[in-house]
Amino acid sequence: MRKKFTGIVAMAAVAAVAALALAGCSPTASTTTEEAAPFKVIAFTSGNQTPVGAWWVKAVAAKATELGWDLTMIQGDFDFTKMNPAVESAIGQGADAILDGYTDVASIGSIVTAAKDAGIPIFAMDSATETTDAFVAQITTDQQGIVDSTVAALDKSLGGLKGKTVMVIGHDPHPGIRMRAGLAEKAFIAAGATIAGGAIQKVKSPATGRTEALALVADYLTANPNGLDAVWVGWDDAALGASKAITEAGSSAKVTGVDATSEAIAEIQAGGSFLASIEQPWPSILDSVIGYMVAYQKDGTLPAKNYETVTTVLVDVSNAATITPSDKL
Amino acid sequence: MSTTNAPAKPGRSLGRTLLQGGTVIALLALIGFFFAMRPDVFLSFTNVKNILFQVSILAIIASAQTVVMVVGDFDLSLGAISSLAGAVAAALMLGGVPMWIAISVAAGVGLLIGLANGFLIAYLRLSAFVATLATMTSVVGLAYLVTAGTTLFSLPEGFNNLGQGKFLNVPLPVYIAIVISLIIWSILRFTTLGRSWSATGGNQEVARLSGVNVRRARLLAFTLAGVVSAIGGIILAARLGSASAVQGSDNMMFSVAAVFLGMTVIRSGMANLGGTMVGVTIIGVMSNGLNILGVNSYVQQVVTGLIIIAAVTLSSLKNRER
Repeated sequence: MRKKFTGIVAMAAVAAVAALALAGCSPTASTTTEEAAPFKVIAFTSGNQTPVGAWWVKAVAAKATELGWDLTMIQGDFDFTKMNPAVESAIGQGADAILDGYTDVASIGSIVTAAKDAGIPIFAMDSATETTDAFVAQITTDQQGIVDSTVAALDKSLGGLKGKTVMVIGHDPHPGIRMRAGLAEKAFIAAGATIAGGAIQKVKSPATGRTEALALVADYLTANPNGLDAVWVGWDDAALGASKAITEAGSSAKVTGVDATSEAIAEIQAGGSFLASIEQPWPSILDSVIGYMVAYQKDGTLPAKNYETVTTVLVDVSNAATITPSDKL
Repeated sequence: MSTTNAPAKPGRSLGRTLLQGGTVIALLALIGFFFAMRPDVFLSFTNVKNILFQVSILAIIASAQTVVMVVGDFDLSLGAISSLAGAVAAALMLGGVPMWIAISVAAGVGLLIGLANGFLIAYLRLSAFVATLATMTSVVGLAYLVTAGTTLFSLPEGFNNLGQGKFLNVPLPVYIAIVISLIIWSILRFTTLGRSWSATGGNQEVARLSGVNVRRARLLAFTLAGVVSAIGGIILAARLGSASAVQGSDNMMFSVAAVFLGMTVIRSGMANLGGTMVGVTIIGVMSNGLNILGVNSYVQQVVTGLIIIAAVTLSSLKNRER
């Protein structure tokens, strides 16, 4: 009995010494780990299946390798029920910073909350169209600038917009397209143009944007032969559908898009109905966001402003040959 | 007795007539409505041609869906197969492969996927929902791999003519859709295979006891559906002059809707090609008519859903009547 009691005491003593030793060692061990640990970044995008999103995934991975970051890349395939929990799980495992590419702030409320709770800053590009405290930095393109330059191109091509009929095609779920389509509608009305159909024509899905826009314009031109002077479209894929409908109907209407995809650039160069598109400088925007993250990594410095817009380039027949298409970045 | 029965007959007859011809009546009512709203436009040659052009691809894919639904199954992967086939044809042609070889390979891809679907469902006894949902997921991934997430364009002129060319001022896809529909209708109506499909769809056990090789019938139905939807995707790529991983993805949902609408046309309530074409026409007329009237696309989607509900309700009432 006594022998058994002595054994238990001895085991308890060993356990206590081991616990003390571990406790005593832990700060040192932790410090060593922190010194050696690379900057841990969670990057996510829902738009990885788009050409620009696919480029972003590769570009961020390359930057992370170059900077020696420990990168966790989460690709959402436009499926927020899959992506958001994956990001939140990664946040739970700890990170130094989060990078959001092309994912609307409205769709990531749970990620923003989890990041705030964990004290991890989110840096973003093209993820909101106005300032939001969800991000410590957010850089996107100047939507008003996009509208100003495309509307000006149509104005010049048509010899003025007063009395002209313009169809505006948008897609509400995308915040950037929604915002610029609204701005374009206002700009055309202010210039004295009539909006075809009385309102913005809405495409339901980006996946079928081209065929939807094609049908919208073809049906409108059937009902109103020669009833269109221009079609302003919020993105190139749908603009290509509108352009095809115009060509097939034998209309002289002009089309503008946004994105500067290689197909749109080829159409612009062909000199048909596709008048112009917009190049958005995603590589330089990514460089700027990464620059903010490097500053934060270095000494915790955060950008002075949490929302910035950058200017875009109008792509028309004069400069189309010099533009790098967005799907070839 | 006779006096009791006599007044009931005309009423029942009218009700039956309405139930029997409800979908066709709905189509005529839609045409009448849009014609009344825009008499100068709606039934003009240009607009009828426009409607036929717009529904031609859907007609091809809905024909494929009809075959599968005649057997009593359905295929969620047809839209994805069509996108992949268009992408494969485009990628091969851009790689320098001659047009007809590229088209044949793309159709072969559709055949193989259809064969895989049929094998999973008929021989491994997976449910059509699970098997084709899984296939759809993989096929969409393959399409992204083939296109590298981009849109393939600058396709050969001869290929684009398949989708954009005209004969007697009517677009070629309209003729292609008519030919494919007639072939499938003939198979369903006049061949042993077609009758074995109908028997399988009616009651698999009875069909088996009657000597029908049910497994083979289902396998062949999915295989044919794969090839036909691939042809639809190839024509869509030619019509747009480009191919992307997801173009035409809405054709899967609309093809099922068209077949459901078509099932209400005939007395038996089974999938049938003539009815499917009525369904395709309803969808095309509605989309075109609402576009001409300037109705918001979101409202169009709501109306489409409501019409499908009405059609399925009608079908259910007919079945009870039987």
